[in-house]
Amino acid sequence: MAGASLIERLRDPSETALGVLLLAPAFLLLALIVVYPIGTLIFNSFFDLRLSGGSGMKFVGLENYLLVLEDADFWNATWNTVLITLITVPGALVAGLGLALLANLPFRRQWPVRLALLLPWALPLAFAGLIFAWFFHTEYGVVNDVVRRLGFGSEPTMWLLRPGWAFAAICLTIVWKTSSFMALILLAGLQMIPRSLYEAAQVDGATRWQQFWQITIPMLMPSIIVALIFRTITALQTFDIPYTMTKGGPGNATETLAMLIHKTTIDYLDVGYGSTLAVFMFVLSLAVTTVYLRRIGRQA
Amino acid sequence: MQRRNLMKALALAAGMAAAAGTTAAFAQTALRVFSGGANQRPDLMRKLFDQYQAANPGVKIEIETGGATSELQRQYLSTVLNAKDSAIDIYMIDIVNPAQYFGAGWLEPLNAYVGNPADAMKPYLPVYLQSNVVDGKVAAMPGFADAMFMYYRKDLLDKYKIAEPKTWDELAAASKKIQAGEGNPNLQGLSIQGAPIEGAVCTFLLPYWSQGKEFNDASGKLTLDKAAAVKGLNQWLAMVDSGVIKRNVAEVKTPDTVNEFKAGQVVFAINWGFAWDRFQVDNDSTVKGKVGVMPLPAMAGGKSATCVGGWQWAVSAFSKNKAEAAKLVKFMSTPAASKFLAVEGSLLPVYQSVYTDPDVVKAVPWFKDASNVVIAGKSRPLSKDYGQVSDVVRTTTSAVLARTKKPDDGVGEIQSRLARVMR
Repeated sequence: MAGASLIERLRDPSETALGVLLLAPAFLLLALIVVYPIGTLIFNSFFDLRLSGGSGMKFVGLENYLLVLEDADFWNATWNTVLITLITVPGALVAGLGLALLANLPFRRQWPVRLALLLPWALPLAFAGLIFAWFFHTEYGVVNDVVRRLGFGSEPTMWLLRPGWAFAAICLTIVWKTSSFMALILLAGLQMIPRSLYEAAQVDGATRWQQFWQITIPMLMPSIIVALIFRTITALQTFDIPYTMTKGGPGNATETLAMLIHKTTIDYLDVGYGSTLAVFMFVLSLAVTTVYLRRIGRQA
Repeated sequence: MQRRNLMKALALAAGMAAAAGTTAAFAQTALRVFSGGANQRPDLMRKLFDQYQAANPGVKIEIETGGATSELQRQYLSTVLNAKDSAIDIYMIDIVNPAQYFGAGWLEPLNAYVGNPADAMKPYLPVYLQSNVVDGKVAAMPGFADAMFMYYRKDLLDKYKIAEPKTWDELAAASKKIQAGEGNPNLQGLSIQGAPIEGAVCTFLLPYWSQGKEFNDASGKLTLDKAAAVKGLNQWLAMVDSGVIKRNVAEVKTPDTVNEFKAGQVVFAINWGFAWDRFQVDNDSTVKGKVGVMPLPAMAGGKSATCVGGWQWAVSAFSKNKAEAAKLVKFMSTPAASKFLAVEGSLLPVYQSVYTDPDVVKAVPWFKDASNVVIAGKSRPLSKDYGQVSDVVRTTTSAVLARTKKPDDGVGEIQSRLARVMR
């Protein structure tokens, strides 16, 4: 009887039931690949769980959280991560906007320009890091070779062995690597701005500079916001480029939060503490995303 | 009555047949062995396993390989062993790992199979009593050795009539003399590894040990002598200042040392045993036939010491065939096996006696110089958290060599960080 009614209901579901049924697969998938791992992460963060000792799991409550707050390595890594974000996101935006404007010029052949834009984006992050590590190598690097040929400095600079220079080199690499992604999104935005707006502005006697600030930037704003959100979130997760360029060195001068989590969990096999660190990073990303989403909400 | 007896006899016969059947089934033991990555030569191990199978028809050995570096292998094995997986019976593990694995209860103590530790380890190189015996139990048996060697340019030392230096100061003086005499600005006196890689742990330990100091006691507790460690790091920095070691030493990785020595740009180089073949066999080597090996210099008043590496055989605590597994481990750790690996793969023997074996000397002549070095070899810190110990030591050493940390602060950091881990 009940079975019959179930089949009946499945065959002719109400509007709500149909909605639930159609959403169920997506919800289950999300639960499996997002909710479950995050839940496990938060659960583990309350335990002393080290794979190296074989001592099993021990509930420690908030102890890991208190340790994180006192951990100088955590604050160092957080500061580095925030600094990289603050430098490379605007950096990539400016560079990306320049590239997009260039690519939007009426070239006779568009594809070489587009290809040049796409290539850095298509290159895996780790490769970019390894390549730039060679560029900045003290003896074999092209950077020092150019500096020497230009006649600057008798002693070669040890780019990746000086905390400030290493940081700068990493930021430069990240900007190079990510500005093409910015440019692609912004180029799409640029192409949606109607020609007629510029023509009207010209008739009214607006200069190129005025056109840029009064038409291009406001019309491009939605694309800029989208690009910034994506870029900021990936910047907070920065791992590959510093890992391959300096391994966080010298010392831990260029260690990011993601690298500290990786080191704690994978090298030290301290899953409990590593999970707690990851929870902090999760909260940081969540806070930044919320701020952006609020802004978008206000704009819409 | 008779009938009953007959039944009994039949039952007995059936029982015996069944028992025989079970014995036959038991005799076919399958052993699964984790045999490291390509550098640990699973191909040669397979040949040894085939020999063992031929002599023991009841045993079938399967090989599993994985992980190109010691760190990757440790990550994999820690996961498998943490899950108490019984699928693998025998593990090949790096010399830095028996303490961790045994401490975690992952390895079967081998005393019951090989006897008491002191006697069992007697025929081997002295380092194994330290590295493979944990809490009075034999945690693993030596498979093959490796060590940090001091390679040098025989031709250049002969040219300037310089004897093999016995102390670091003598080495620095010899380098200066040769560098000045050759007039080649690219010629380095000494090449060591200062990048934050595993080799930098040895870079930290070599001058420290050579003052007769220990990093840890037998129980694994940290016994770092701060003054001596600072002195050791200052020894390297002094050599950087005097131009014996190059300024960007904190960028130098193991292959850099090998390649620069091969290119004829280095007088003295510290590196693992594999480098010898690269210097003498590789087509692009410009130093073929000009290379010597000597014991590492000591600090004035100290004694020579080197970092020993190499791989061990251990039986899993979760294996279902421990007795058979232990038998195989014993076989893999015999002088015959060690000799086979030396002759076929230039893998360093774990027995002092094998270094002077005529067949070995014929196949790998430099091993007779190598034995003096390996006998003075020491094990890196023993800790269940070796991953962390290694990371702290190599990162700090590299930062000191990059001069972003003062030796005093760096050693203080190593001390405070490791005091929590090694106690």
